[in-house]
Amino acid sequence: MPPDTDTSAAEVLLLARIGAGDRAAFRDLYARYSAPLFSFALRLVGDRAAAEELLQDAFIKIWRHAGDYDPRKSRPFTWTVTIVRRTCLDHLRARRSSPAFSPLSAETSNSIDFTTAETARRSAEARETSQRVDQALRGIPGEQRRALELALFSEFTHAEIARQLAQPIGTIKSWIRRGLLDLRASLSEAQP
Amino acid sequence: MNPQLEELATLYVLDRLEPGERTAFESQLLRSPELATLVHELETALTREIHSLPQHAPPADLLARVESRLDSTSAPAADGAAAPSSRSRRDATGALPSRTAAAGGSVFPWLAVARWGIAAVIAVSVATLAVQSLRRSPAPAAPPVVPPVVLVFGLDSQGSALTRMPLPPAAGGSAESFVQLASLAENLWENPNKLPVAPPAASESAHGYALFDPDSNQGFIAIRHLPALAPGHRYYVWIADLSSRRITEAGVLPATNASSGLYSFAVASPEKEKSARLNLFITAEDASTDKPSAPHGKVVLGNKEL
Repeated sequence: MPPDTDTSAAEVLLLARIGAGDRAAFRDLYARYSAPLFSFALRLVGDRAAAEELLQDAFIKIWRHAGDYDPRKSRPFTWTVTIVRRTCLDHLRARRSSPAFSPLSAETSNSIDFTTAETARRSAEARETSQRVDQALRGIPGEQRRALELALFSEFTHAEIARQLAQPIGTIKSWIRRGLLDLRASLSEAQP
Repeated sequence: MNPQLEELATLYVLDRLEPGERTAFESQLLRSPELATLVHELETALTREIHSLPQHAPPADLLARVESRLDSTSAPAADGAAAPSSRSRRDATGALPSRTAAAGGSVFPWLAVARWGIAAVIAVSVATLAVQSLRRSPAPAAPPVVPPVVLVFGLDSQGSALTRMPLPPAAGGSAESFVQLASLAENLWENPNKLPVAPPAASESAHGYALFDPDSNQGFIAIRHLPALAPGHRYYVWIADLSSRRITEAGVLPATNASSGLYSFAVASPEKEKSARLNLFITAEDASTDKPSAPHGKVVLGNKEL
């Protein structure tokens, strides 16, 4: 499952320990986050070799800047997502390549790696989460979902998304906002 | 919670705020428990989306490679990050590749320039123009170098004001030029105080601005507080060439309930000779008849004087 409040609290402590130079805490955080962050990087850049390099770069940055993390401003996982995202966007801008944009709901779990027992456990959880998110996404109007996907998984600015979807920028921002808010609401309702 | 704050919270969680906006939002976030709750919930949604992606494990030796790199470089304490500091996260990630810095190092350096704001663009471009002018003077036989400019029209119900803004050249033709213009338009939309044309005294009245690139014949128009359209009418954008006294339709604003928005437009049949004397205005036209070839309806922004 994605981190809940308790695991977030534990991860805040992990980041504090990493900030103090604790390599064991770093390995612990890597074990928790590397698969989802790698999957996110892979989705952004669409190239496994590049995603591996970028994940390395991102974890170096996490190590170096963990001491600056402020839990009042974001959750640990979101903070690391931002680092990975920026690292990937820098790479994409330099390369100016096109990322892969397959709709979230069209993806299947066939591509899940079952390389270790731990990965398998996390993958099973991810599949469960994926089904729940897919269900929630189906309740979001198509254009909102598309705008949200582009905001999440592309290097496009709002103006570029607006151009691609042939809508004013204000509308795009509104769709992104509504998309994430609707997803939040749907997931809240779907909580077991 | 008001929609504007919800939008800011969403953009914050998606890391799509500019550095200044992000800092301002974070200070608000620290003061508002309600906002903190919303951000927390949005982060949960984002986290679940990422965990719902097909999960791929990185190679087993990747952690070892990371640690090997860490061993060969400095420890966090050496970076001044031995303990959680009181510095803001933005300060921390300032050392990370920020979006602005990233754009500055990319193949599109103009994008970064645009994002730095109009003041910087004007300052840099004016300085560049001055240097070019000085360099040109001892070589009168050389053809004059004309830097690309974007025309900026300030529009209100009383008329229009025109100014020109130098732009760094876009390397890759009209597509890059469009993105360059879009970046600038978005920046001005979010920071209207940076407009090089004066906004109307009464900000609640209809007003707007337009950017037009005469080289690519495309532009953006921003409108605020346009009056509601009468049934069966549409807003048309027109560009008038004051030299040839020719008026060209530049597009129809989308028929929505929004009285404000930012739209792109293009002139369909570009003149071969670029005119330096242009005017831009918007009329409300009767949409029940054929597409108008000339403006006949009421002018709602700018003026159609030739």
